[in-house]
Amino acid sequence: MAAVLPIHYPRSLLRAFDILPVEVWGPPRVSTDYGAAHLQPYLCSIVHNALSFLLSGGLDITEVLVVPHACDSLQGLGSILLDFISPKQAVLPVYLPRGTRESDIAFFAQELRSVYDRLQALTGRSPTEGELMDCIEREEAADLLLIQLHRCHKTLPLTDFAFYRLVRSREYLPAEQFATLAQEVLARGEALSPDGIPLVISGILPEPMSLLDALQGMGGRIVADDLACCGRRLYPPGESDDPFRRMAERIIHAPPDPTRGGLLSARLNHLLGLVEANEAKGLVFYLVKFCEPELFDLPDLRQELRQAGIPSLTIEVDVNNPVSQGVLNRLEAFLEMIG
Amino acid sequence: MSLCRELRYHWYVNLLGRTGLRVRRWQATWQAKSSSRWKSEVLTPPLKISAWTKELIGRHYLKGNYANLHNKVTWVTSGAPVEFLQALGFYILYPENHAAVCGTVRLAEEIASQAENAGFSQDICSYARTDLGTVISGKTPVGRLPRPDLLVACTNICQTVLLWYRVLSHRLDVPLILIDTPFIYSQVTDHAVEFVKRQIEEAIPTAEKVAGKSLKMYKLEEVAKLGLQASELWLEVIERAQHRPAPISVFDQFIHMAPIVEMRGNPGTVDFYAAMLREVDERIAQGIGVIKEEKKRLLWDNLPIWYRLRFLAEFLGRRGVAVVASTYTNAWGELSRLIEVSRPIESMARTYIFIILNRGTGDKLSVMKRMVEDFHLDGAILHSDRSCKSYSIGQLDQRDRLMREVGVPALLLEADHNAPRAFSEEQVSNRLAAFVEMLGV
Amino acid sequence: MDVGSTTNKLVAVNAEGEMLWNVLEQTEPRVEEQINRLLEQAGEALGPLEGIPLIATGYGRGLVHQARRTVTEISCHARGIYREFGHGGTLVDIGGQDSKVIAISPQGAVLDFVMNDKCAAGTGQFLERTANRLVVPLEQMGREALSAAREVPISSTCTVFAETEIVSLIAHGEAVPSILRGLHRSLTKRLLAMVRTVGLVTPLMLSGGVAQNPAILHMLEEETGEQVILPLHPQLVGAHGAALFALEIMETV
Repeated sequence: MAAVLPIHYPRSLLRAFDILPVEVWGPPRVSTDYGAAHLQPYLCSIVHNALSFLLSGGLDITEVLVVPHACDSLQGLGSILLDFISPKQAVLPVYLPRGTRESDIAFFAQELRSVYDRLQALTGRSPTEGELMDCIEREEAADLLLIQLHRCHKTLPLTDFAFYRLVRSREYLPAEQFATLAQEVLARGEALSPDGIPLVISGILPEPMSLLDALQGMGGRIVADDLACCGRRLYPPGESDDPFRRMAERIIHAPPDPTRGGLLSARLNHLLGLVEANEAKGLVFYLVKFCEPELFDLPDLRQELRQAGIPSLTIEVDVNNPVSQGVLNRLEAFLEMIG
Repeated sequence: MSLCRELRYHWYVNLLGRTGLRVRRWQATWQAKSSSRWKSEVLTPPLKISAWTKELIGRHYLKGNYANLHNKVTWVTSGAPVEFLQALGFYILYPENHAAVCGTVRLAEEIASQAENAGFSQDICSYARTDLGTVISGKTPVGRLPRPDLLVACTNICQTVLLWYRVLSHRLDVPLILIDTPFIYSQVTDHAVEFVKRQIEEAIPTAEKVAGKSLKMYKLEEVAKLGLQASELWLEVIERAQHRPAPISVFDQFIHMAPIVEMRGNPGTVDFYAAMLREVDERIAQGIGVIKEEKKRLLWDNLPIWYRLRFLAEFLGRRGVAVVASTYTNAWGELSRLIEVSRPIESMARTYIFIILNRGTGDKLSVMKRMVEDFHLDGAILHSDRSCKSYSIGQLDQRDRLMREVGVPALLLEADHNAPRAFSEEQVSNRLAAFVEMLGV
Repeated sequence: MDVGSTTNKLVAVNAEGEMLWNVLEQTEPRVEEQINRLLEQAGEALGPLEGIPLIATGYGRGLVHQARRTVTEISCHARGIYREFGHGGTLVDIGGQDSKVIAISPQGAVLDFVMNDKCAAGTGQFLERTANRLVVPLEQMGREALSAAREVPISSTCTVFAETEIVSLIAHGEAVPSILRGLHRSLTKRLLAMVRTVGLVTPLMLSGGVAQNPAILHMLEEETGEQVILPLHPQLVGAHGAALFALEIMETV
């Protein structure tokens, strides 16, 4: 089993080595003292909690720790794990290129090859290209179902809480098990009368999950998301016959994500598209405190959304804290404003 | 009309400005000779070369004021490969340095607040906030900044610069060249170097198109050669601080590093550092140190606290403590080791992927350990810089290792390189005073 | 009823929406008991309250079990201020524990808003805590600040940092009014930053307990170059708005 930190990584590559990836998105209710011995207080709670969870034994069951390079903070965490903390797990950093050019795909394919070499040395296994391709196709099938769930989000007979519990099971279930669950829900058909003021949510992750029930209680409803753990990871199928290139293509062609570079206008158009396609009445930027990738884009996105007549709200949270009265108050006022 | 623009440029920059700045430098140099004007009980008078530094910086920004009349302009990050841009005749502006200038003249907060008013969070890098504040409001202590025709962001110092330059590209509607340098966790890989090289190769035609001319290899080699010479001289200058008493402090280095960052490939920069080296050597010969009585020597890690350089120098100087080495100023000297003039593009890829901020936290600890030994240091101040996560993460462990493995006391100092509001003078003074007591002064 | 973190307010309106009666008290730890007592007071003053709808707003609105509905203070403040002035603009409400800026359309609708409730900076608490440091009664702070001949710049907007900064300013012999003036400037700038994030729609209106502080009013005018309008009862704007929502229910019944 591998513990995987946010955001993007090749699931199929790990599965080809018979390793199950389980993602670590800053598990809440961890004593943050462990992380505080190594990390400054101005780093986000996701990074703090990941380290605290590891050091408090929460990841003892895993043998590998995959640290994708998403931002300066995760870069630093990967580095101190390797150089200073040296956990019992093998630490496997993966660099993600910041463009969508041919050179980015070529580099990333090579980077994945070197991850293959590391895993080969760790496990003693050598999956063939054919086996790799099988794993890729299995993940592609699961991701197509994930895309379909997101596309039908608005009309599914699920509460927001149930929806996110389902789509986020992709973070720990094997692809084939996730596919079964997804197909079951998709077969149930549409809800009779979806009610609530339709909202799009953008940010890193919808936590604490109690937020979703509270939102529903106030008369709001999430119809689409631009969340790092969900909507930004709807990987399209790859095209290449080379398994490494194909894995690289899939991640590089995912929806816009500031941690993968790309133009701001592409993000804006993506958000406008989500709002329009789902007839949302507003957009909530639900940010984790200190997250620079989110914060830089925010002013221009908000202003241009406003020009397009789409109201938005910014909320910053620390994943350790319960949803505060202040946050609920703002959400409620926002719903009153757009409702 | 183009002739008219050129005439205006040369009139203001070369006739009026240049002459004016030169006269001011002569005046300052002349005044420095009678050091009676220097009022500090603890610090020795600044290097005479300071007047020249001022002239160079002044001329750089003066050219910037009128650059849109005469050159194509590019804004670049401090770790970007600039040799090909310089060989193509771009005027190169470093927003980070400009922000630092705002910091030293105590304007950063006011300018950054313009960005905050536009919705930029106080939690984003204070350089970025200062720069965006200038872009939004036009406020700057240097007259005005030239509008860019091209942006170049290189991720070797942090990912933050890319986030920042994406915003610039969006707001100013200017093309952005990305040079992505994969972080080196332990060993540099061939495919990473190849990736950087390919991006530089692909950047050249883009830059040529904006510049409206093609790159001449001999010019590129010339710029690389001058850059190499300047870097070597800079490294020598900062290594002179190994002498006791140290003839130059990190606070001097922070000020005099501007040319090596901003004007690396200019012939004038080589002359400047050669002169600086001569002056530093004169100081050594005369036994002049940066403080009147040097008792202890320290390392500085991370960016300077631009708006409190003098305060820190005097506070520590008064207690007999000189800060003589820093991982930060060393970064521009280190560059020289990898430059190969005959293979400029290949060696650029290797050089720029290899800078300290793009290497692991353990590697940075090794640099610190080496400096403690080479510079005969008694302790270290690790500036935990709220605005620079990429430089700061790892400092808690680095501090711990310095104390345990090298046996020198180390202090983690919480502040911010360009945001005075994150700096509490009372708290800092207390910490520093206690730390100095720990050093046994 | 507006159950705030610092004060509790209850307002009754007549059929035309005019304020008939009101009461304002410091919030007590046993909020529910206080709510019952305030309602009893209203009953004594106005006669039986049966059939008269009650709307609760403010942080403690969930504790008002007698309320028909709860509405956030954003909507209530917008409603209350619009009733008083009949036009849109930007309302700055500075409460004890939080502050908010609301952009209001010419028709009285909320266009955008921003709230600060995460830290003391930018709220009444910033002044209260620093007033304690300087041993100046809160009510006199503004006047003292305006009386200062000069202004000491306070660089910290963080309350904790500002407190240490004050300690050192006092140690350097700075006059109290000059420090006060600097503190007010710091708070004003912080508020203006919030105003700018929603975009200033004129006129600027001010409510909340801190609205009674003349220095804040003066400095807001100075910094924006716009006249700032004060409602008749700056602390009752939210409760008045809530009463107007209640009246709406009454009318639709």
